[in-house]
Amino acid sequence: MFTILSFKVDMVIVPATTGQMGILPGHTASISELKPGVLSIHDGNDVKKYFVSSGFAFIHSNSVADIMAAEAVPIEQVDPASVQKQFTEFTQKLSSASTDLEKAEAQIRVDVLVALNSALSG
Amino acid sequence: MAMAALRREGRRFAAPLISNNPINPLHSSFAPAKEQALLGVRSISTQIVRNRMKSVRNIQKITKAMKMVAASKLRAIQTRAENSRGLWQPFTALLGDTPSVDVKKNVIVTISSDKGLCGGINSTSVKISRALHKLNSGPDKESKYVVLGEKAKAQLVRDSKKNIELILTELQKNPLNYTQVSVLADDILKNVENDALRIVFNKFQSVVSFLPTTATVLSPEVVEREAESGGKLGELDSYEIEGGETKSEILQNLSEFQFSCVLFNAVLENACSEQGARMSAMDSSSRNAGEMLDRLTLTYNRTRQASITTELIEIISGASALEG
Repeated sequence: MFTILSFKVDMVIVPATTGQMGILPGHTASISELKPGVLSIHDGNDVKKYFVSSGFAFIHSNSVADIMAAEAVPIEQVDPASVQKQFTEFTQKLSSASTDLEKAEAQIRVDVLVALNSALSG
Repeated sequence: MAMAALRREGRRFAAPLISNNPINPLHSSFAPAKEQALLGVRSISTQIVRNRMKSVRNIQKITKAMKMVAASKLRAIQTRAENSRGLWQPFTALLGDTPSVDVKKNVIVTISSDKGLCGGINSTSVKISRALHKLNSGPDKESKYVVLGEKAKAQLVRDSKKNIELILTELQKNPLNYTQVSVLADDILKNVENDALRIVFNKFQSVVSFLPTTATVLSPEVVEREAESGGKLGELDSYEIEGGETKSEILQNLSEFQFSCVLFNAVLENACSEQGARMSAMDSSSRNAGEMLDRLTLTYNRTRQASITTELIEIISGASALEG
């Protein structure tokens, strides 16, 4: 599912691997990898939040930012109850995981759910 | 009465009167129409023509239905393909698309359809893949194939079997989605070592026009090399790399992501082109069947009228022989 959204906005906050990064016009050119988290687009007083799974953000020197995400969901469409349920389920799986592969998979899920949780609350 | 019955069965009673051999009239009037043709009869029986008309009419109906099916499938997939173009545009803006890059290990990913009856698109893809292979094989360069789709597999296995690394078919069993393609991309990247990946597919421009295209994705090492040597990728250094990872790790992730995005778009575009080509192939097929049907109808009517005329002549000559 992809939609290409292309707007002129005031500021974008992306969840980079180094933490939340704010991008304003005139930002230096940069490539950053994204981790699962909330992407918020600020246009005046309007704030639109999306939950992105992961991806890349390119910031070009002409004040154009390209944000490429494998999946992006508007935050309104995320269901808090199921997030909570899956969180408890997978933290349990993580502690009981035996092989390295299972551990890694469970860890990834827990990370995403933590980010989702904080996105919903924050 | 008897003559009318014979005529209805499409037998030519006059055949023995026309042919040179003195044949028992009773015998030949029950002979199958084909044998009458072999005896030197001037026109064929109406039965044969009628059978042919029936089969041509059926084919026309089938091809018309196939065209409708292809049109509806095209509608469904066209919006997705056009939307997916935005996936690789930022990558091309950043890293450029350099088909002329000179690398040691090339991998040619040929995308084709699984089903046939779609015109010539698969042959053009294979032709371009072969040309790329020839261009990129030399003393210190080599190229391998990764084949997606039955049709290209059938063509490439014939003469380039040893150069094919991976064959993947039945892509469209489930509707195409990004997850499936990213798994595929992962497979390819893991199993085939490469410096540059060249994806050959048919880009969908409109329902009647498909452009064979090559999209080039470079491996991270080659990207670094090209960045140092300047050119489009020289600007890459001006980009700060955020994050604790080193530049090469980021480039690695970047190039993998780029490959899966480009592959996804290529597969969607090829699927669109396949449906469009099938639509036009089935359309011309129905039109041809219609023309054939017209010609057969004319022949049928001529044959029918000829046999009626011959009967009349026989009756009248018989009657006049009785009088005279």
